[in-house]
Amino acid sequence: MTRRGSPRLAGYAVVAAVGLLAALALRRPELAAAAAPFALVLALGTRLARDPRVAVEVELGAERVLEGDEVEALLRLRSAAPVDRLELLLELPLGIAADGDARAVRLAAGEPREVPFALRCTRWGVFDVGAVSLRARDRFRLVVWDGHVEAARRLKAYPTPITVRRILAPLETQAFTGSEVARVKGDGIEYADIRDFRPGDRVRSINWRATARRHALVVNERHPERNTDVVLFLDSFADVRREDTSVLEQAVRAAAAIATRYLARRDRVGLVSFGGVLRWLQPGMGATQRYRLIETMLETGVEPTYTWRDVNVIPARILPPKALVVGLTPLVDLRYVHALEDLRARGFDLAVVEVDPVPLVEPGRRPLEALAYRVWLLEREVLRSRLQALGIALGRWGDGELEATLEEVRTYRRYAKLARA
Amino acid sequence: MCLGGLVVLPLVRADDSDVRAVGARVAALALLALLAALVLGWSPLVPVALLLAGGLYGAQLAIDDAPLDAAAPVVAAALLVAAELAYWSLEERERIPGDPGSSLGRAALVAGIGAAALVVSALLLALVDVVSARGLAFDLVGAAAAAAALAAVVLAARSVGRSG
Repeated sequence: MTRRGSPRLAGYAVVAAVGLLAALALRRPELAAAAAPFALVLALGTRLARDPRVAVEVELGAERVLEGDEVEALLRLRSAAPVDRLELLLELPLGIAADGDARAVRLAAGEPREVPFALRCTRWGVFDVGAVSLRARDRFRLVVWDGHVEAARRLKAYPTPITVRRILAPLETQAFTGSEVARVKGDGIEYADIRDFRPGDRVRSINWRATARRHALVVNERHPERNTDVVLFLDSFADVRREDTSVLEQAVRAAAAIATRYLARRDRVGLVSFGGVLRWLQPGMGATQRYRLIETMLETGVEPTYTWRDVNVIPARILPPKALVVGLTPLVDLRYVHALEDLRARGFDLAVVEVDPVPLVEPGRRPLEALAYRVWLLEREVLRSRLQALGIALGRWGDGELEATLEEVRTYRRYAKLARA
Repeated sequence: MCLGGLVVLPLVRADDSDVRAVGARVAALALLALLAALVLGWSPLVPVALLLAGGLYGAQLAIDDAPLDAAAPVVAAALLVAAELAYWSLEERERIPGDPGSSLGRAALVAGIGAAALVVSALLLALVDVVSARGLAFDLVGAAAAAAALAAVVLAARSVGRSG
């Protein structure tokens, strides 16, 4: 810890010095008597001041919490010498808040002391908590020791779950058993059609009513239940932030909700975070995959880059054939828009949730700013139309519910199918 | 309040009305300096306020050529307590919550420091009263003692300034 004199030290020294000199000059011993206690406090204070050598350990109540939850950070303190006042300031990263991030305690020599701090995660993310600034003062408050301790502990705040009841059905399913009713016919529960009996058909699949009417054996055909591959395609090129919310934060919340819902129905879910840094996770299923996905999303941030990126940089195994690609984007960076067009051109089943940045952008007061804002809005409309013209289902998600946006995308895909048919 | 009482004492005692008028201005300046230090959180103004108050007291004694003042220990204690309270207020500007009862302990310590200042100052005055000799030799001894005290203070401050 760095030792320095407090303002009191300089002040008392000045008062004592001037008092003694004035006593000599004016030949008034009263002034020396008035200055003497200041000099005495200085002498005693500086003599008795001992380097505190404070040891600090930080312990978190939990390593993983949900966004908005509280977690206790416990500071364990021990000092080699007594400290009359030890001021602790917990340096919190953006996204972690505390009702009181500073506390002052008194420490006896060798006495262990625990100081709890109640922290609250205001947003999702991975945070390093545990940087503590220390300021110790001696009994006479003449000497101050400043120090900084980096006892970082990692805290992961998962995004708040968003309720999603219905999700997007992919155009094609995979070969494994799942919850999605496939378009193809085979063994399953959902009734599909009837057809004439063929050798090898099971007796239990005979539709006896239809057989009686047609006077020939007729069997039921059914849709098998299959799983699907879903790839969440997250735009991390740019973020639009205002106060305590941002489109990237919303996009990650939505991605986490969608992934959770798909994984609950035994679908395989993968992730591509497409931006300055490319992050991906191969499609997989189960609870482990859910945690892997969310933890990969937590690391997502905007890394500025001016290099052009296209979908060629994404490994082929990350985008399996027949996979439904769900894009989550504010439609701000053209590199991501081109990647969407590219994926569509390669025949991927593509749906886009546009995390609307418009509510976060101020139109501006001056006429030129207002004009620029209107032009920007028009450009966004043009961009949307261009994507929809390519057959990409697009839903805008602003202040409303994600469910409604997914319904918008579903409706578009239903009518697009009709148009194709 | 300590400093207020302190600056009122020489004004009440002063015989000359002109001295009283000038003294009132100095007293007001001392109080203003302390107020500014507390409001603005600027600690260098605290010794300025103390020096103005102490200077007013010393000037009144010198101008009136008063005999050895028995109230000097009270003045010393009041000055020190005013300084302690002023610096304590400045430390508390950061509003860092402390242990329960810590303020009470600190107040007791300030009171103790005040009482100790009263005793030390009284002892010094008593010593001066007993050794009432005057002359060049005593002046030289006094100057040497003052210089030694200042040197000790400077050395102490320098040792504090080094990294621990």
